[in-house]
Amino acid sequence: MKTAKKLAAGLILTALMVSAAGCGNNTSNTENTGNKDNTGNTPTKSTEPAKTSEASAEKVKIIYSMWGSAAEGNTTQKVADRFNASQDTIEVEVQAIPWENYMTKLNTLATAGQLPDTGMLKEDGVIQWSSEGMLNDVSAMYEGSDSKPLDSLAYKHKGNTVAYAAANEILLLYYNKDMFDKAGVAYPPAVLDQAWTWEQFVDTAKKLTIDKNGKHPGEEGFDEQGIVQFGASVENLPWQLEAWALSNSGGFYSEDGSEVRIGEDASMEAIQRVADLYLKDHVAPLSVGQTDDGIQRTVIAGTVAMATNGQWNVGTSLNSAKEEGLNYGVAVLPYMKDKVTISTGGANVVFSQTKHPKEAMEWLKWYNSEENNWELISSGIWMPTLDKWYKDETLTRKWVENPNFPPYDEYKSAVVDYAQSPAARPAAWFYTNYTTDFNTLLGSVLGDVWTGKTTAKEAITKNLEALKAVHAGSN
Amino acid sequence: MSVAAYGRLKSKKRRTRTMNILTFAVVVVFALIAFFPIWWIFRTSLMTNAEIYRYPPSLIPDKWLFSNYEKTLEIFKFWKYLWNTMVIITPSCLAGTFTATLCGYAFARLRFRGKSLLWALCVGSMLLPAMVTLIPLYIGWTRGLGFNDSYWPLILPYFCGGGAFNIFLIRQFIVSIPRELDQAGTIDGAGYFRILFSIIMPAIRPAMIVVALFIFIGLWNDLLQQMIYINSSDKYTIALGLTNFRGQLKSDWPLTMAATCLSFAPGVIFYLIGQKYFVEGITLTGLKN
Amino acid sequence: METVTKLQKRRPRKPSRIHASEARTAYICLIPAFLGLIFLTYLPLAGVLGISLTNWTGLKSPEFIGLDNYIKLFTTDPYIKDSILATLYFAGLSVAGSMVYSLFIAMLLNRKIPARSFFRAVFYVPYVLPATAIYVGWSWLYEGNFGFFNYLLSELGLNKILFIADSSYVVPSLSLISVWLAGNLIVIFLAGLQNVPVVYHEAAEMDGANGWKRFLHITLPCMTPIIFYNLLMSLIANLQIVTPALALTNGGPGNSSRFLTYLMYDQAFVNYKLGYACATTLIIFAILAVFTTVLFKTSGRWIFNEGGDDK
Repeated sequence: MKTAKKLAAGLILTALMVSAAGCGNNTSNTENTGNKDNTGNTPTKSTEPAKTSEASAEKVKIIYSMWGSAAEGNTTQKVADRFNASQDTIEVEVQAIPWENYMTKLNTLATAGQLPDTGMLKEDGVIQWSSEGMLNDVSAMYEGSDSKPLDSLAYKHKGNTVAYAAANEILLLYYNKDMFDKAGVAYPPAVLDQAWTWEQFVDTAKKLTIDKNGKHPGEEGFDEQGIVQFGASVENLPWQLEAWALSNSGGFYSEDGSEVRIGEDASMEAIQRVADLYLKDHVAPLSVGQTDDGIQRTVIAGTVAMATNGQWNVGTSLNSAKEEGLNYGVAVLPYMKDKVTISTGGANVVFSQTKHPKEAMEWLKWYNSEENNWELISSGIWMPTLDKWYKDETLTRKWVENPNFPPYDEYKSAVVDYAQSPAARPAAWFYTNYTTDFNTLLGSVLGDVWTGKTTAKEAITKNLEALKAVHAGSN
Repeated sequence: MSVAAYGRLKSKKRRTRTMNILTFAVVVVFALIAFFPIWWIFRTSLMTNAEIYRYPPSLIPDKWLFSNYEKTLEIFKFWKYLWNTMVIITPSCLAGTFTATLCGYAFARLRFRGKSLLWALCVGSMLLPAMVTLIPLYIGWTRGLGFNDSYWPLILPYFCGGGAFNIFLIRQFIVSIPRELDQAGTIDGAGYFRILFSIIMPAIRPAMIVVALFIFIGLWNDLLQQMIYINSSDKYTIALGLTNFRGQLKSDWPLTMAATCLSFAPGVIFYLIGQKYFVEGITLTGLKN
Repeated sequence: METVTKLQKRRPRKPSRIHASEARTAYICLIPAFLGLIFLTYLPLAGVLGISLTNWTGLKSPEFIGLDNYIKLFTTDPYIKDSILATLYFAGLSVAGSMVYSLFIAMLLNRKIPARSFFRAVFYVPYVLPATAIYVGWSWLYEGNFGFFNYLLSELGLNKILFIADSSYVVPSLSLISVWLAGNLIVIFLAGLQNVPVVYHEAAEMDGANGWKRFLHITLPCMTPIIFYNLLMSLIANLQIVTPALALTNGGPGNSSRFLTYLMYDQAFVNYKLGYACATTLIIFAILAVFTTVLFKTSGRWIFNEGGDDK
């Protein structure tokens, strides 16, 4: 008993010392910022102006926040170090925050008035932050530059450019070539002019859908419960559905974002057609828009012959699947009435809480040139934002001709050309406010449409007023 | 002992044995079911990304890729994160358990003015989801007290009673101890603190260990608060380290699961140590007399 | 709370000398908790109440808008009704399920069986696992087309169940996870079972009471304070549930898993409607308060040994 007590006392003492040491570290870290920087670790935030000015003459300190792991933060910090060395007025420090909680963290930082100077912002937050006066106008950023970002990649609020996308992404059709070969069916077209109509898409999907007994949908004795290979899967996350509404000459919003158009028959019909791939055509697996690993669950898993999703999948999952033997291709999306794909990309913004907007912009402009994000671009996760990469073929080759990508001609036509064609339209969050609220509500409204408990028309009509209210920001 | 009584005892023994075998069988069945999802996570940690999504799903990995763990340890600085986490957890656990016991004792045994009001306030504080007070507290800790990128906002709350749930748990346990025990102490002339330390505390040791365990696990998995208060990656905890595997677009599930399997080991070890104390029936030695 | 007051009334007053030192001891014991209650709970709560009367977004400075947020919540909010129903449905299933499951498992694990420590750890591990891993793991099991459970069903020749993708199955599916996670309740029950005086059992055995009777008349009554605690804790935890919605379902399909705390999280941190979120919080708080009060009011009738000395 006595030893136990001694042990307990010892434990308590150690604990207190440990915590004192740990917490002591905190303070010493902030004091010795200069030392930390030398070791190459992600530097700790210094709040002591005296020390900072001592360490780096009259350099203005800019904090840039990004989502990603600590390792990704270190990579970006190395890029920033090159920038820091290249001039003697600005010192950039990178703060990496885990993706899942990025916006929550920024939100708390904002309420406490402790935002970084500049940073990335999730697509659907940009216009709202801007309307709250949290973002600086960045229109001046590319004045006098020889290459500008693609027009579809500027976030616009009340006529001002409030951010440029950090990367470009469009929606594509991915397919498994081996499955097509086996079924003896022609590949989906990579050229926009030859894009499939929706009917061609569904017909092809039927040929590629097989049940346990080798039968296709529409044939006698086809067993819907025993499907072993699906022909197609169309991602139905609300923001991606906008492409289909637009393609059917409908849309979520009017062109300037002021009106809600999802109540129009064309928009609702488009959504119903996507749902019918599972419900009526029996060519698609059920998906209720809950997860974002669509390509992994479909084409990579080897259960679906073709699937729509964003370009980033080339770099996030398809490149390693390719190494493991997946023979996949990229194609343009099929269309209903108009040929449409959606382009998007997370934003780089300058927060209005900063004291150094000019320096922040200078850094962003430097950082946004593709050479500085080369790892993300050459792996296929990001597409470049500056138009020269799309227009100058030597640059395109430099970007695409590497083993992470599908064959050059195919990718050039189905992705590079597609992305700068008139078919590529900016996602609604580039110019419309409250898209998060709207997409959440739309996702909730459509929940029972995918399983066939109700129709798109019924569900949307019933909730149209609520959708309009949400879009107006009044709910 | 009469013959009849002896016979009854013998048949009872036989019955007990069948009961025990039956119990064991039921436990095994339930344990298999409960263990299955854990196995699922573990086998994922040994697979390739493609294998996870394959159909039909396999229960056992094709190749046991223990190299996933090596890769994981390159990103997941387990020992560093563990140290950081322990720096937060150790004082929190001790202070939390101690102050919760003090409060629980006061509410269970002592009479004082304002008791029911305080008790109501205490219970009321359990009804507030932690997420709600996140922003007011964040502003208080950072702007009010100047704790930036610091562990204190995570630790100090545990010096304040260790949370109403734990106070309540201790109180319930003290309440379930017969009063005769401490009354004996009162007669001996022992003060209230003496009674608490030498009679109550030994009797509720299982509950105290449970409280320590809950504080441990609570802090271990509390991603949200740690994420908000900690900025620099060299102060990352286990929970924050785990989020390193998930990017915006890319998720490496095998590595995430490998890190997960590594991360919960200390929690299990802590439990196994604690279990020895609260399971072997120390508590009621005093009661048998 | 009510019970405590009643008991105090019934309790005979002791000489005031003892009373004074008793109270002094109590106040010393309560200093830490008191500080916590003021600074970590009720001041922030007052803040929440204040914010709920504004249109604060967390970004720009707030304007006072009176009760507008509450009026909106009860009139035009597209989610709140479904959300309350979903929360109650989930909490009902999960509380009932996990109480029965954890008491049952704890009783089994309290018997003398081989490898007891090992089995105890098995049932406890789910509780230790980080939420992300748990829900991702379960999502592969539940997946509607090619998940493991559906693979089993199709092997057995049964129709597929969509589990979390179907609005009628999603809540039971999530409740099952919640029951599986109830390792903390098992631990408390186990610790509680240690407190059931062995003498009582021995006496009852002498009287020839069988196992079931002993469970009913000794174990259960002695455990009532612990059962009460677990019930309360599991009720509060499940009414405040948020992680499965965050990690797995995003509140869907439809609103079938849009639990109140998730709704609040979405309003506050995704849509930047902090004032509105605070109003929602107070609704959650009120609902929890109603349930807790009912639980406390009825507890006097079935809790054995509460304030032991009065018997």
